[in-house]
Amino acid sequence: MWIEALIAVTLASAAVVFLAPNKVAGKLAFVLSLLPVGGSLWMYSTYEASGNALLEGSTLAFETNYQWVVAGPYSLNWHVGLDGISMPLIALTTVLTSLALLASWTPIQERQSQFYGLMLFLEASLLGVFSALDFFVWFVFWEMVLVPMYVLIGVWGGPRRKYAAIKMFVYTNIASLALFIGFVALVFGLGDSVTTFDMPTVAQALRAGELGSLGPIGPETLKVAAFVAMFVGFAVKVPVVPFHTWLPDAHVEAPTPVSIMLAGVLLKMGTYALLRFNFTMLPDVAQANAQLIAIFAVVSVLYGAMLALAQTDLKRIVAYSSVSSMGYVILGLVAYTVYGMGGATFQMVAHGLISGLMFMAVGVIYNTTHTRMVSDMSGLASKMPFTVAVFVAGAFGYMGLPLMAGFAAELFIFLGSFGAFEGSVLFTAAAMFGIVIVAGYLLLAMQRTLFGPFELETDYEVGPAAFHDVAPLVVLILLVILLGVDPNIFFGMIQDAVNPIAAATGGGA
Amino acid sequence: MAALPFELAPAIAALPFVSFLIALLVGAFAPRLLPKGGAIPGILATAGSLVLSVWAAVAVWNHPDGMYHDSITWVAGVGDAAFDLQFGILLDPLSTMMLVIVSLVAVLVHVFSLGYMNDEGETGLPRYYAGLGLFTASMLSFVFASNLLMAFMFFELVGLCSWLLIGFWFREPGPPSAAKKAFLVTRFGDYFFLVGVVGVFATFGTTAFVGSESFPILADQVLAGEGASVTTFLGLDPQAWFSVLGLLILGGVIGKSAQFPLHTWLPDAMEGPTPVSALIHAATMVAAGVYLVARIYGFYALLPQVMALIALVGGFTALFAATMGVVKREIKQVLAYSTISQYGYMMLGLGAGGYVAATFHLMTHAFFKALLFLGAGSVIIAMHHNENMWDMGGLKEKMPVTYYAFLSGSLALAGIVPFSGFWSKDEVLYEALVHGLESPILLAAYAMGLLAVFFTGFYTFRMVFLTFHGKPRTDTARDPHAVGWNVKVPLVVLGTLAAVAGLVNMVPVAEVTGIHLEFLHDWLDAGPEALTAHHYADLIPYASGEIGSPLLTVLLSAGVSLGLALSGAGAAWLLYDVPEPIRHTDRLGRVKTVLFNNYYQDEFQVWLANGVTLPLARVADKFDQGVIDGVVNGVSSVSLFSGGRIKRIQTGVVSNYAFLLTMGLVVLLVFIGVTGGWF
Amino acid sequence: MVPIEYYLLLSAAVFCIGVFGILTRKNALLFLMSVELLLNAANINLVAFSRFHGNLTGQTFSLFTLALAAAEVAIGIGIILVLYRNFADVDVTKATTMRW
Repeated sequence: MWIEALIAVTLASAAVVFLAPNKVAGKLAFVLSLLPVGGSLWMYSTYEASGNALLEGSTLAFETNYQWVVAGPYSLNWHVGLDGISMPLIALTTVLTSLALLASWTPIQERQSQFYGLMLFLEASLLGVFSALDFFVWFVFWEMVLVPMYVLIGVWGGPRRKYAAIKMFVYTNIASLALFIGFVALVFGLGDSVTTFDMPTVAQALRAGELGSLGPIGPETLKVAAFVAMFVGFAVKVPVVPFHTWLPDAHVEAPTPVSIMLAGVLLKMGTYALLRFNFTMLPDVAQANAQLIAIFAVVSVLYGAMLALAQTDLKRIVAYSSVSSMGYVILGLVAYTVYGMGGATFQMVAHGLISGLMFMAVGVIYNTTHTRMVSDMSGLASKMPFTVAVFVAGAFGYMGLPLMAGFAAELFIFLGSFGAFEGSVLFTAAAMFGIVIVAGYLLLAMQRTLFGPFELETDYEVGPAAFHDVAPLVVLILLVILLGVDPNIFFGMIQDAVNPIAAATGGGA
Repeated sequence: MAALPFELAPAIAALPFVSFLIALLVGAFAPRLLPKGGAIPGILATAGSLVLSVWAAVAVWNHPDGMYHDSITWVAGVGDAAFDLQFGILLDPLSTMMLVIVSLVAVLVHVFSLGYMNDEGETGLPRYYAGLGLFTASMLSFVFASNLLMAFMFFELVGLCSWLLIGFWFREPGPPSAAKKAFLVTRFGDYFFLVGVVGVFATFGTTAFVGSESFPILADQVLAGEGASVTTFLGLDPQAWFSVLGLLILGGVIGKSAQFPLHTWLPDAMEGPTPVSALIHAATMVAAGVYLVARIYGFYALLPQVMALIALVGGFTALFAATMGVVKREIKQVLAYSTISQYGYMMLGLGAGGYVAATFHLMTHAFFKALLFLGAGSVIIAMHHNENMWDMGGLKEKMPVTYYAFLSGSLALAGIVPFSGFWSKDEVLYEALVHGLESPILLAAYAMGLLAVFFTGFYTFRMVFLTFHGKPRTDTARDPHAVGWNVKVPLVVLGTLAAVAGLVNMVPVAEVTGIHLEFLHDWLDAGPEALTAHHYADLIPYASGEIGSPLLTVLLSAGVSLGLALSGAGAAWLLYDVPEPIRHTDRLGRVKTVLFNNYYQDEFQVWLANGVTLPLARVADKFDQGVIDGVVNGVSSVSLFSGGRIKRIQTGVVSNYAFLLTMGLVVLLVFIGVTGGWF
Repeated sequence: MVPIEYYLLLSAAVFCIGVFGILTRKNALLFLMSVELLLNAANINLVAFSRFHGNLTGQTFSLFTLALAAAEVAIGIGIILVLYRNFADVDVTKATTMRW
């Protein structure tokens, strides 16, 4: 019942904050958000599970499963539970939400109670996405995420917030349609043997090769078509080039805390779902088309990095670099090795923390300078040394500096994908070149904005940031270093959860 | 249970790390509590490291295995054929020697910094000492790393520290830019290194340096056809694939050790404080690349093509950088190019099969180049931070301690007998010669290295004469700033070492007299069998030739290189040891312009970045905004447009709706009628 | 007894007149009257079939319809009054301010 309690507490907090007066909403929301943080950490400490949630022979942590709705022959279950893939993401979600709430105190100055209420509502939906194991429940949460996100960008965003919010909503919603059709087609294709949307049941039936025809469509075609539909659906969320253009717009317009949530957690929904659905349920399709998927990954990495190099807005730089970093995840997933898929999952957490950190740091700078353009400022380091120090540390984390989480994740991915499939050596080597470009654009941006003589176009008084602005940055950088020094905090359970996928598909080391 | 110094081995790196934490945290929250801005904890920590390193070296010498190795699993592999990632400590003669060098230079640089930074009233000292502490910790960890992955990780971390320290004066425009360039260029090399590390894992399943399951030994067994089988990729046979791996790792070496074509960052790195230049950009970090090759020499020795390439790159870099050093105006620039050139010699030595020779040069160079930089730092203090040699002159009388120490370093650098640089450089050239007699490529590399000796002698003494001899050319030079004990002590220590360190391995004397003087050979032969000098000597793919007799070859080699060094120094003496030296290099005309602009290498690389990569990025951005996002926006425009047309049916006039309703009913009736067969 | 076809024809004729009125008139009052015609056409059918089948349900239903028509007129007049207040006219084609 712990997952239900976690979600319920978060939802109740959202309701309380929604009704609270504006003045206290921020502090109240932060304090209440510590409840799910504590809950998820307690769950982590008592976590006991083995295997992959979707495959046979697994025991899940905090699992509940009961029949909820029966419609004709089909039944919908309330099925939630955690394995080594979802546990780290749950922890990431709660921790990052709390820090994002703290980072909202300065930038959010109107309709606070609604803002903080929606943030907590968003958190509850995300927790649902990462814990649900029945497709229907999962899909409801998946769509529930969009609603607060749309409002958060559309109301508290920048000048072009409506465009960005609608673009994000419509784009991802169309993607949801594609994945919904894809998955439901698979369930119907399984015929009478599967009369539920329960993900483990469906996954095991699909892996056992029980897929039949759906109308005139044969099983092989159906498999590929469903894979494509779901891949596209999730690729928009990740986002994979060429489905990425909503992301920079959304990031630029979204207020800082929303950017943190968007980059830190929402993008991981896409890769998490890819891992759960495409790569777990249809491994043969993924492996048969490994090169094609790897091309998507490599293009995302290099093209995203090149785009980041061309940007002049700090937030756009970080936004495009997210595209680049998420490309690594795809590369790791398609490797079908423990290091590759485990590294991909680890990268979800690592990138969640690091990109959250970067957006937060850019936000702190924006709070004082009121500009994000690289050309508008220089020499900030002499005015706000603490913020700049953390920014620098975060940027090096993003570049994959050893003993920080990003390096561990990328290293695992490279180790896993090198030689994992035909041509993977070249794909891996090409993707790894991303670590040079990322260093290029981050160092360039830092040199121009943070160092040199102090100048600022916007003529605001620049001083050190407030404690509650810097504190979450410090917490994040410490977490990044902690995970980088000892990846086993999460990597052990991740390996345990991805091992069945890799082992069953004959992936090597 | 390991003996005591080995138990304490992690502390060698941990002590400077603690000093980093102290400088960082106390410096940030309670700067007043920090004595000397963090220098005292730094000095104590590095001195502790030095003591422990020496103790460890002695213990290694006395240990029956000649080494100590211990590792912990960082990340355990899961599943079939998975490999563990490990952190380990490997103390053997090579690594303990390097540990002693690094910690010794680090102590001296910390002491020197008291004079260069504290006494000059710099701000941000905790940041400076934190950087030094972190650097020392990372560098020491790199040195005792027992596997390639750990080596790579700390290799990158020293890069970070280099960035932090080059950009120490971040309020000025120059240092941040130089720091960025240094990190980026070395990162480019590290990219290949990382691919190499991953490739070694995928091929051998381990990156350990030592033990029966270490990758050099596995590679040896595979190539010898003895059992061990490995996975190779890209359809290459083991020999070719190992060469690819060797070249990939070499990428990192070339970046870090500033070899052609990735040498351009090092001269720019002189923007950092001079003690940093001494510690990082001369004596230790730049040595990391060369040290890495020496560390996995058992692997490189199996790959003749890669070895030849290392020798060629080294020989070429030695000559190439030396020619640029001839025309520089700033004292630190001359030293920077000489550093590149000297690392070229080490690469030449390694590539030519002279493992001991290159290691020897690595050691002597660390002493005399740290000395020269610190000496230059002393001069810079005296000159109120003016680095232009043409503004100096006549400093000999004003600062004798600096002068004689600097002279000792210069004699070593130029390779004048009996200073340390002579012995080591001569041994490198000797190895290149004897192996080159049987291999034209090595001979070409040797020729370039030999030619560079002349230039080295010339630019070294041009620097000495311009700085210390003649008449003072500016008011500052007439009345230089005095330097304190904290500057002089490191200079004296290093000056002595630069003079005498060569005595540990006087090969030519040993050859001639038959007296056993090759102590470094013995030292490097004391380790475990697979890491010893004689094992490497068996592995190297070269035959040795000789001119006349072995004795004649030794004497000839030593004589030629000494003669060239002396003639270079003599030329400088003739031209520049006059009261009012003139700019003789102007006579080179356009050649000087080319040399002064570093063969336009920097321009080329800047063009690659600004002229190719950035426009490419902008094109990509245009493409992204125009085409990809254009399609997305196009889809929405089409829906909006068609919606805008279709909505016109909604006129708002009730009669129209009624009409449509009626018509709809009629059409429906007719349709049902026709299909239902009413008519 | 009058055959049922006659009632049906009458009903159809009344219905057509009502539809014609709705389609051609602009005056809201005439609209309302046309709608009444439509309703009454239906009433005629209800009563006619009720008699034809000998079942009183249809007649009862026509009573309901009459009551409904009365209520509808009340609402309709109300709408027309509001229309008049807002547009100073009872022309239905003028009230198009809520389209796109």
